[in-house]
Amino acid sequence: MSFKSAVITFPGSNCDRDALCYLQDLTKGVVYNIWHEEASLPQVDLVILPGGFSFGDYLRSGAMASKSKIINDVIKHANDDRYLLGICNGFQILTEIGLLGGALIQNKNLKFLGKNCFIKKKFKNNFNSSIKEDQVLQIPVAHNEGNFYCDNETLKSLKNNEQIAFEYCKGEFSNSEENINGSIEAIAGITNKKKNILGMMPHPERAYSDFHPSQDGKLIIESLIT
Amino acid sequence: MNEDLILQHGLTLDEFKIIKNYLNRDLTMEELGIFSAMWNEHCCYKTSKKWLKKLPTENEIVIQGPGENAGIIDIQDNDGIAFKIESHNHPSYIEPFNGSATGVGGILRDIFTMGARPIATLDSIRFGLIENEKTKYLLNGVVHGIGHYGNCIGIPNIGGECEFETTYGFNNLVNAMAVGHVQKDKIFYSKPKSIGGLIVYIGSKTGKDGIHGASMASDVFSEDDEDDKRPSVQVGDPFMEKLLMEGCLELMSLGLIESMQDMGAAGITSSSVEMASKGNVGVLINLDKVPLRQPLSAYEILLSESQERMLAVIDEKNNLKVKEILQKWQIDYEVIGEITNNKRVVFESNNKKVVDLPVDIIVDDAPEYDREFYMPRKRKGKDFNFSNIKLEDMINTLLSNLNYLDKSWVFNQYDSTVMGDTVKEPGQSSGIVKIHGTQKVIGATTDCNPLYIRINPYEGMKYTVAESYRNLISCNISPLAITNNLNFASPLDPNIMGELVLSIDGLKTAAAKFNTPIVSGNVSLYNQTNEIPIKPTPVIGMVGSNQDLKKINSNKFCNIGNKILVLGKQLEKNLSPYLLQDQNLASKINDYNDLEELDLDYEKKVADSVLKMSDFKYIMSCNDISRGGVFLSLLKMQYKDMGFKVNIPDPIDLFCEYSAGYVIEIRNEDLNNVTSFLSKNGVGYFEIGEIIRENIEINSKKFDYFDIINNYHNNFEKIIN
Repeated sequence: MSFKSAVITFPGSNCDRDALCYLQDLTKGVVYNIWHEEASLPQVDLVILPGGFSFGDYLRSGAMASKSKIINDVIKHANDDRYLLGICNGFQILTEIGLLGGALIQNKNLKFLGKNCFIKKKFKNNFNSSIKEDQVLQIPVAHNEGNFYCDNETLKSLKNNEQIAFEYCKGEFSNSEENINGSIEAIAGITNKKKNILGMMPHPERAYSDFHPSQDGKLIIESLIT
Repeated sequence: MNEDLILQHGLTLDEFKIIKNYLNRDLTMEELGIFSAMWNEHCCYKTSKKWLKKLPTENEIVIQGPGENAGIIDIQDNDGIAFKIESHNHPSYIEPFNGSATGVGGILRDIFTMGARPIATLDSIRFGLIENEKTKYLLNGVVHGIGHYGNCIGIPNIGGECEFETTYGFNNLVNAMAVGHVQKDKIFYSKPKSIGGLIVYIGSKTGKDGIHGASMASDVFSEDDEDDKRPSVQVGDPFMEKLLMEGCLELMSLGLIESMQDMGAAGITSSSVEMASKGNVGVLINLDKVPLRQPLSAYEILLSESQERMLAVIDEKNNLKVKEILQKWQIDYEVIGEITNNKRVVFESNNKKVVDLPVDIIVDDAPEYDREFYMPRKRKGKDFNFSNIKLEDMINTLLSNLNYLDKSWVFNQYDSTVMGDTVKEPGQSSGIVKIHGTQKVIGATTDCNPLYIRINPYEGMKYTVAESYRNLISCNISPLAITNNLNFASPLDPNIMGELVLSIDGLKTAAAKFNTPIVSGNVSLYNQTNEIPIKPTPVIGMVGSNQDLKKINSNKFCNIGNKILVLGKQLEKNLSPYLLQDQNLASKINDYNDLEELDLDYEKKVADSVLKMSDFKYIMSCNDISRGGVFLSLLKMQYKDMGFKVNIPDPIDLFCEYSAGYVIEIRNEDLNNVTSFLSKNGVGYFEIGEIIRENIEINSKKFDYFDIINNYHNNFEKIIN
């Protein structure tokens, strides 16, 4: 059975095309592009909320998009135990909807961060099952508000329920950092308790083609499909 | 009209007399405003036109040369590349964040106005010395502004340059370049097609920002002006521009638009006048219809430089469809006028004609000056003295000078991988992006060498063009065309005018030799504050391509054990080591030698050989050599755990520049083939050493590898903080 997926486009999304290509090239299945004002989603296995500056990041990153018309159906899709992936601004939108805990605040050095970063998996879930323990992935980040923050109780529950999917780590460059943006416990991506929703700051859709410096981003789609 | 008012509008009394004689009546205030906007340097190139005409602007791949919103070249099949560079110097000094952000916004509009989707941006930024307290504020603001706009709209920044030098202390430079991809059969021009076409306003509402921006940009500053001029700086909204870009590209892809012109410098005035002039038609616009953010007079509407606005001409039958698409993108849209056949520019407000001028007088009769200029005097100067040179000192100086250090601090604030097609990120010889859905790549780079141009404008400009050329060649990108941004101080000073004239001449010579025509550009004059003129800074952006992304060279070392060769001819008169020894050289250059004549034939010969060796896959990695010499090239090539071991008879040579200089990495087994290929083709070379693991060794002396590498990568941030 072929894998079906969809990418939602909000005004100001700028990684929607990248996510569409990523899904088309790696899933070989049908990929829908859905405009935020549409009322319903087609039946798909995976929905991606892409990166960008939805609604110009006005108010707070992701805040306006979380009130979009399509979001009701996105929530329904997730409640049906199907996969939902928020990348960068998509992660911010997921926390604004309340589907994921915590919040993404400004990077610790107060500057936009656009570079390659290194992550590894923390707890196993369906999004990272093809990734080996301690395998270091090289994936670009590009964000101003990627510093994951939550209160102690939430953190405890994220750990107890094994919801931390990825954490930042040192890579093979001598000057790479342990924790690039100041996130609590170097968290780069988390899931919900049921682990069918993943939010992550790094951009796997920019690390999969032969000409990209790394193809590690493939592993997420491979994990979901196999 | 009183003289003060005329002068305040940036017109000379002689210029005013020409207008008055032509019209044979008094001007309205609105008309005076129009001449102020259209007859300044920024819009009509009155000082530079005579010299710019001498540049080569055509060859078999040029689809559109200078004169449109951007130049376009043919890269085979149905693919065209639109690109242009533009300055936002003065606004970025007054308000660094918004000034530089709107610089990026403006240049992106120039690209998508032509139907091209922007695929990359680059920049060229210059500041005073870091000791100057204001430099940090300006640097932070400018980088933040460039990043904010580009990141938000989602166009990758793939490269640029950043230099610190004393004369930019009170007049920093911010030049932004954009590159776009267009289908050759879907290019849009500013020329309207039919009489009766509707003129539509698309985009943000008009406000008070930027009124008289274009004439401000052509003013000489004095320091206490700053606060007074702040209201003239435009405020950008990249989110609005993203919507505008998607909306316009959708309209164009559906063929719903006839022509388009962005409202950049001098806003609705210059865009409508341009349209009329290009199409040899007239325009009739009702200013009451213009969407406003706040109540404005007709005069203010005409001169507002509010950002993210477009003017388009559409056929009336498409009106509803256009409206519907723009509504989806939540963009303001209004029919404000029509194309007429009387070759007049007419603006109405409150049922009154406030402007009624023949197009000819505004455009064709715009002044053109042949300003007096002096040829720079021949330099004799003394020879450099390099006795007692110590390798350690040279390395330490290099690693403590911002101009040589790794500038990740700058470009890590830019999103360089959005759109998923970036092949080479900033910090390498040239930025490279793939044309979406193909195997073709486009490489681009920006360069200028103001110090060399001050020493010898003609030769210095050749060095600048050659540097860009080598940047592309070292990646195995064939150079194709140039965009230029001539930043100079006041042309009323015949010495500065002389630099302008001769550097254009140098550009002409080099561009003709390399067959890289100039297809677009911008001129920014009067870059001086408190009588301190900037160094002559004619920045160029060069674009090239390769049809196969797999053939691109790495600029970083690939394998331990591989051989390192230096190609080219060492310059006899070398400034580069001296610059390292004496950082104040910039203020004493009158004492020193002239530049050596750059041999462009040799430059081309070596370049052709590098391209061939790249296609043969002999070259594992490559970097060009410029200021900082071979040593800096080796540092740039360092990667992961790799270092280098080199032997060089005289250590000073390690810091020298070369004519057609490249450092290449090759496999041991290819050494014989490569050296015989080079000899056969008359390319100078020497085997300087090899790649080793976690070590830097020069003439058997070991240096602290991690120290050098970390200093090279981290010192920039340490120094500026």
